[in-house]
Amino acid sequence: MYSFHNVHKGILQNINVTIEKGEKVIIFGPSGSGKSTLLHLFNRLQDPDEGKIHFKDNPIQSYHIPDLRNQAGLVMQAPHLFPGTVLDNIKYGPSLRGDWREQDGEELLAYVQLPTEYLSRDVNHLSGGEQQRVSLARTLANKPEVLLLDEPTSALDQHTIEEIEDVLEELIHEHQLTMIMVTHNLKQAKRLGDKGIFLSEGEILESGLILDLLETPTTTSLQSFLA
Amino acid sequence: MSPEISNQSLLFLIVFVLVPLWLSYYYQLGLKRDIIWSSIRGALQLFLIGYALNFLFDLPAIQGIPLMLSVMITVASFHAKKKGEGIPRMLSTIVIGLILIEGSVLSLWLLADMIEFTPSQVIPMSGMVIGNSMVAMGLAIERMRSEFKENEGRILAALSLGAKPSQSSKIILQQTLQSSLIPNVDQLKTIGLVQLPGMMTGLILGGVNPVTAIKYQLVISLSIFSAVSISAIYITLMTYKYFYNDRMQLKRMESE
Repeated sequence: MYSFHNVHKGILQNINVTIEKGEKVIIFGPSGSGKSTLLHLFNRLQDPDEGKIHFKDNPIQSYHIPDLRNQAGLVMQAPHLFPGTVLDNIKYGPSLRGDWREQDGEELLAYVQLPTEYLSRDVNHLSGGEQQRVSLARTLANKPEVLLLDEPTSALDQHTIEEIEDVLEELIHEHQLTMIMVTHNLKQAKRLGDKGIFLSEGEILESGLILDLLETPTTTSLQSFLA
Repeated sequence: MSPEISNQSLLFLIVFVLVPLWLSYYYQLGLKRDIIWSSIRGALQLFLIGYALNFLFDLPAIQGIPLMLSVMITVASFHAKKKGEGIPRMLSTIVIGLILIEGSVLSLWLLADMIEFTPSQVIPMSGMVIGNSMVAMGLAIERMRSEFKENEGRILAALSLGAKPSQSSKIILQQTLQSSLIPNVDQLKTIGLVQLPGMMTGLILGGVNPVTAIKYQLVISLSIFSAVSISAIYITLMTYKYFYNDRMQLKRMESE
């Protein structure tokens, strides 16, 4: 689905990664190691200084940028909702293409387990967890094949984190999405991921099955990160 | 007949300079030099412009008006440009905007027979329109910069949902325009109640009947209102795209 060849961008050095369709990949590592920058390369919110990225066997530059971003939907750490109602937010992406159907609203809220009456709510009146669900529904409205998650639960309490993880697990399974997630939460990494990429100071120091990385780290950097 | 302030009376204005000077001294504000320099400079500038206006008013309208309007637009453009440092083609964008705005306002005034095409009427009225447009453009650029910074997350969210820069900037444009227009709306609401506007005060002091003075004030106030609105919209629409590159990315993130 994605392949990176000798990609350099800012702090990121010589990134070589292959991600297959349907994989659930966790990117983790210390702060400032370039995790969010790496995530932004998948939907071209940023471009590499050097190296090549392929998406579905084609150079990533060959895609029309809004189309690529619809296919690889991003959910950010903070919900960054637009002023207005829940409906205004979740129909944002499809409306840009004139592709919104009124019945989609209920369906999307059901995906993120929010009641239908929330559609008319002002986003300022939602809790942090509810806002993050709306942000997730807003991304899902574009029917992405890849879900890019940038620490989507880092600002939430434990109970809400578990609720959002349940929602994510179900969605990814039901829609057979490819997931690429940045997280600091190792429990979450174990629960949601099947592959892992350990980044430190812009370099991939280890990658492989997430359970192997977390249970039998081989580099001293990962060992001390996990300690 | 218009009353004239004698030169001796003007000398007493020094009292108004001594007050801030004393405050600066007493509270150690360190503004002594600035106060003296700005007072002298201000007075000299005004006298010079008075003599220049006398000269311009004596010229035939077809020479005096374009000459002074060009000076005003040039100075205003260089001043407003400072707020848009780093944005390409800022000066030419502002110059074109000011010419278009001043040209349209002046045409309307002349076509509707509100003023005559004489330097003594066109120059002071145009100065107010150009000056206010200059401030409006500067403020709109400044506001847009801070809105882009403040709303970076929302813009990234919009871009990542497939929005083009013209679509992702909509929230910013709304807020920039709103904050540019609100002070003018408020000012119009209280006009004449809180303070008598400058132009009207000047005409009344010059011996003009207050109702006639109000008519002129209405012309200028509404013209400024319109010019300020157009200036803010114009400069915002012309410059928002410079915050993005041609790959629909925020420029600020290129170097990260």
